[in-house]
Amino acid sequence: MARRRRRIEPQGKDEDVRLMAGLITAGVISIVLVASMFIAPPANVGPEEGSLAPDFIASAYTGGAWEEVRLSEIYDGRLVYINFLDTDCPYCWEEGTELSNMHQAFHEDVIFINVMVSLEIVGHDSSREEVQAFRDKTPFGDNENNGDGCYSGRKNCAERPGEAHTWMYVDDLTNSIAGDWDLPGTPFSVILDGEGTVVWNQAQSDNHPPGEEVGNALVRLLGGE
Amino acid sequence: MASVFTDPVLLFFVAALLGSSFLFVNGKSKDGAEGTLRMLDGSLAFTITGILASGWTWVIYNDMVRNPLGGEFCATEGLVQCGSVIGDPRYNNLFGMSWGSLGLAAFAALFFLILCIRMDMHAKWVGNYINYAWWMGLAGVPFLFLLIGIEIFVVNHICPFCTVAHLALIGYLVTVWRLRERRENSAWHRLQRLNQLLD
Repeated sequence: MARRRRRIEPQGKDEDVRLMAGLITAGVISIVLVASMFIAPPANVGPEEGSLAPDFIASAYTGGAWEEVRLSEIYDGRLVYINFLDTDCPYCWEEGTELSNMHQAFHEDVIFINVMVSLEIVGHDSSREEVQAFRDKTPFGDNENNGDGCYSGRKNCAERPGEAHTWMYVDDLTNSIAGDWDLPGTPFSVILDGEGTVVWNQAQSDNHPPGEEVGNALVRLLGGE
Repeated sequence: MASVFTDPVLLFFVAALLGSSFLFVNGKSKDGAEGTLRMLDGSLAFTITGILASGWTWVIYNDMVRNPLGGEFCATEGLVQCGSVIGDPRYNNLFGMSWGSLGLAAFAALFFLILCIRMDMHAKWVGNYINYAWWMGLAGVPFLFLLIGIEIFVVNHICPFCTVAHLALIGYLVTVWRLRERRENSAWHRLQRLNQLLD
């Protein structure tokens, strides 16, 4: 019967080195994190007032072909008024007139942008054609409740209240921008200063004079009474 | 910034990659524990390069969030640049986390595993840890392909510091693969080779 030879194996260390390795790793990462934050501190990005507005790149319609735009490239020192709309939302339909009036009053001092979303609600199935028709007040759908057209498919987009809009409409029918902006619903308004910092958020009513409407906020931010 | 190729930070990272590769090749040619330790040093050097490169891309990300049209730490024009990659809000994050911070966390985990092995290469758990190090490194490969695909086919620009982090992961995987092989082929330490001959 063959004798089994005892294998020669080097022994590991008596103490468990893994705790020390963990501490060294934590130390290395802490140094890198502190150095990184010292060189370029993380920016506070979000839709809240005082934060940098979440940047986006998306297709936009200004009356011609849809073209790619980037929000941060739009800043030119003027206030930026961003309005989230859904062509099928009845409140957005009613907002058409107020938007026309506000643009009439502020277009020289404020950049207007509408971000067009498609809320995940039955009957809200917007398209670029519908967005164009909503903006331009051109025929799309009819007044039969058959799913075609604006206002949950109940109205012809050409009959939207207010004038035809002349400013930029951004395609966010996938709701990706809406996600970054924590969109609570539509219509929803945010105002940015000329460098992209959120200075007014409709959802943060505690920060404003009580009951302040977006038009009054624009007047106040522009230095009016 | 004029040209990314004259960027001293990038040159430092290139030197770090070359140094890591040298340690690995040097260890591979040596037998026994000495060679193994040198290869582990190479692997550690790759993870440290990955940690630093990821940290630097996080710095660039933070800078570009504040200055989207022209960051301070990397070129924003030309084929090789950061502006169109780290500066693109569509692709520069995963569920809101910048790729740099994710890379930092991933390389930290790999660094920990290799450091444990390096500090006690004869411990009972070393075999398991080499396997963990291999599979965890491999888990980063799909993300590596995703990011390279976005650079080449979607934004059509190459981010040099991201590429350093990608190369660090590839270098790390090569070293761990050879370390696994070395352990299985009885070259981990000289006594292992002796046992093999006596058997």
